[in-house]
Amino acid sequence: MLQGFNTSGTVIAEHIQQALEINLWISLVLFASVAIPLVYLAWKYRENNVKDEDIQNVTHNTLLEIVWTVVPTITLFVCFWYGYTSMVTARTMPAIDDSIVVEVEGSKWKWRYEYPANESGFVHKLGGAYTKPVRDENGKLIEKGTMGKSALYVPVNTNIILNMTAPIDDVLHAFFIPAFRMKEDVVPGRITKQWFNSNQVGEYEIECAEYCGTDHSYMYSRVVVLPIAEYNTWFNSNEETPEGDYGNSGDAILQQHGCKSCHAVDSDKVLVGPALKTRRLTKEQVLDVIENGQEKLGYAMGAMPAGMAEGTDAEEIAAYVAGGMIGTQPASFAACSSCHGEDGKGQYGTSPSLVSYDVDLLRNVLKNGKEGMIGTMPAFPYVSDEEVSAIAEYLENTK
Amino acid sequence: MSKSYFDETHCAIGHPKTKVMQWLLTVDHKRIGVMYAAVMFTFFFIAIATAMAMRIELFAPGAQIMDGDTFNQAFTLHGVIMIFLFIIPGIPAVFGNIVMPLMIGAKDVSFPRLNWFTFWLYILGCLIALSSLWTGNGFADTGWTFYAPYSLNTNTNVITTLVAAFVLGMASILTGLNFLVTIHRLRAPGMGFFKMPLFVWGIYATAWIQLLATPVVGITLILAILEKYFGIGIFDPAKGGDPVLFEHLFWIYSHPAVYLMILPAFGIMSEIIPVFSRREIFGYRTIALSSASIAGIGYLVWGHHLFTSGMSDIAKTIFSFLTFFVAIPTGIKFYDWIATMYKGKVILETPMLWALGTIITFAIGGLTGVTIAMVGADIHLQDTYYSVAHFHYAILGGVVFLFFAGLHYWYPVVTGRMYNESVAKTAFWLNFVGINLLWFPMFIAGYYGMPRRYFDYLPEFEIYHQISGIGAIVILSGLLLMFWNFLSNWNTGELSGTNPWEGTTLEWHLPSSPPPLENHTKVPYVDFNPYEYHHGKPVVKFDYETMKRID
Repeated sequence: MLQGFNTSGTVIAEHIQQALEINLWISLVLFASVAIPLVYLAWKYRENNVKDEDIQNVTHNTLLEIVWTVVPTITLFVCFWYGYTSMVTARTMPAIDDSIVVEVEGSKWKWRYEYPANESGFVHKLGGAYTKPVRDENGKLIEKGTMGKSALYVPVNTNIILNMTAPIDDVLHAFFIPAFRMKEDVVPGRITKQWFNSNQVGEYEIECAEYCGTDHSYMYSRVVVLPIAEYNTWFNSNEETPEGDYGNSGDAILQQHGCKSCHAVDSDKVLVGPALKTRRLTKEQVLDVIENGQEKLGYAMGAMPAGMAEGTDAEEIAAYVAGGMIGTQPASFAACSSCHGEDGKGQYGTSPSLVSYDVDLLRNVLKNGKEGMIGTMPAFPYVSDEEVSAIAEYLENTK
Repeated sequence: MSKSYFDETHCAIGHPKTKVMQWLLTVDHKRIGVMYAAVMFTFFFIAIATAMAMRIELFAPGAQIMDGDTFNQAFTLHGVIMIFLFIIPGIPAVFGNIVMPLMIGAKDVSFPRLNWFTFWLYILGCLIALSSLWTGNGFADTGWTFYAPYSLNTNTNVITTLVAAFVLGMASILTGLNFLVTIHRLRAPGMGFFKMPLFVWGIYATAWIQLLATPVVGITLILAILEKYFGIGIFDPAKGGDPVLFEHLFWIYSHPAVYLMILPAFGIMSEIIPVFSRREIFGYRTIALSSASIAGIGYLVWGHHLFTSGMSDIAKTIFSFLTFFVAIPTGIKFYDWIATMYKGKVILETPMLWALGTIITFAIGGLTGVTIAMVGADIHLQDTYYSVAHFHYAILGGVVFLFFAGLHYWYPVVTGRMYNESVAKTAFWLNFVGINLLWFPMFIAGYYGMPRRYFDYLPEFEIYHQISGIGAIVILSGLLLMFWNFLSNWNTGELSGTNPWEGTTLEWHLPSSPPPLENHTKVPYVDFNPYEYHHGKPVVKFDYETMKRID
């Protein structure tokens, strides 16, 4: 099941889900009304149970015919009614004044989002293509597919209107969020609209549902529903994406499962539980605590309940916490980490901590190298500006 | 022994001596039907091979045996063959040709030469479609719906496929025309419309759809060709056109086309159920008129394919409302068929097994169609595996299963012989188990958000694809077993006699089996209803020399 499929907390999903459930029950009853008489009659009047002179040509029964016309008709119009009302919920756009309007552009094969200008007049534009999963020749997964940090970031409990279109020379796409039960085609040269309002912080998959060619199967994106304060901080900044790691589903899952209400993640403060900003635990240890809980401490701080998260969510949380809750490492950092460590905090006797280096210092050292007290830092003159800033941003996150 | 239609024939041109030329030029409706069947089932197995390749690819996430582009061509090839080459000509081309004239006591269709021409037009269409596999940039990758603007932008050989679909549409129109005239003009004296067997009713309703709806898709395909090569700007938004217009035009034909597929299939069901219950059918008129009304309402519901296309909400509501009106006559037919078994004698031979099995599979196909006729539900389920499963339950589990029922039922008429009954039953159960294993998991995967036409998928959906893959193997083995049974008994099976099932309709009152060139010896006078039984025995008996009643 996709993440948050049954817990997306949108009105549309609830209403459509209700329509689907009513339809399921009606379908089961109607199916039984066909299948049970079928099996019963085929058995009762089986060949060696009937004498030829008992066969009767019954060709009409007015009452029965009225019943099997009228009753299914009524149930069908119950279906129609719920189909209609749930459509009204999905299609009645909220007032623009009470909503955030995001422009969505679908093109081969990526989703892009453009927000209204913020306080300082800055316009957030983000989105991009999904990075395909990498497999070895036996089809074994080496690296999971990822959307990186690209996502439709929205605040919780807020109406979001999507104005969707595709470039004029592109093709049809469809913007489909299974967890929200919403979908609408994205048509070149037209603007189509959808809206939603989720009361659950979390991450939800976006898929392209209208066939669009070669990478149709990889035209994914995500909606990340953030706490309002966090959203506003990001929206009113010039930052590309919100603070925290939404690249590997980390922070959003912590939010969704309520970890953050007891555990600090961005400081060493002890709230109800210990801060999670630690690198002392392995993934297995974290997973064990999530699954089985923890109450060995025996004092008032309380117990960690068992089973707060399950399955892939638990796995991801464990990997995230054990990894020190840092963002995705840029590829170019591989050259640094062999001496400065995976977290860039240096290794005794070999290399210093890079954590407090800013962009300018990094660029300078990379370009020219450095004669240090412990050893020599070689020059990396071919490192591009983009790579320098990616490394700097990464180091910023590991502080 | 008297000569059958295999021994002598009328030809469109001259009097050729060689067997091959006699087949190529034949105007005999039975031979043409047999040739349609041979060609269509060859293509059917090509399309199944393509589908199997896709199922293997989808058995695990990631690319195993093909890349995305090849997969896109594969599902297009599968769709184009199954829809345009197999299921649209389908039952009318085979049994409409072979059985319908026999049922109404005619010597052939009204325009036998046109029938011959139509068959070769169909072959031409098939060849054009096939040629695009090896010419240009390969077979189209648009899906069988050719949605603009994708079909206008892609480099693959869409034009050839469009031309093929156009030519095949032309053949379909001519078939419909021929059958309409035949049913109106060549019914045996005394056979009013309400004395016609219900299969003829199915063919009749279908023929109107073929005649009236197919031109729309012809126009649409021509517009797409003009757009692609001359840039006339009807569908291309870059030139001020509207891609949604293409969807409307396409579905104005292609939705009635699904009723064009199912109505003759319902006709086969209505033949088999009374014969194997050895009694008169329940609600003859209701079934006949519901076919006609489905054909009528079927024109007005195309918009339910566009619930998420950006159509206005009022239009969605109206199309949804009208769609439910198709479900009502269909439901009534089902209850009529089931009621036909009441106080009858149910003989579970292979055709009856297929018919009853289809009631189950088509009920699933039909009821899940109700789900996606609900606008709100369709917003979630449109373009997911749910729609794919619904479509295959309705078309494979409805139309094609009944086509198979008909193949078993009329096999003695066509060949004069009988297939192996126990092999046929085994094949039925393999198919029945296979279809459910193959497609039921897709309802669940679709509901959980698995979009259609994906060649790779998120790991959450793996289990559903794997159950489907196993189901595909089961159903494939059932299909191979069934066709092996037909082919191996074609010349060597037990002789069936003219009426092995104790049928009542005129195709069971022929002087010999397989029938002679011009069918019944004399044109019979029809002063009886199609399914008259008394205590489990057919009421009407004929002297086959004079075609006078002797009961």
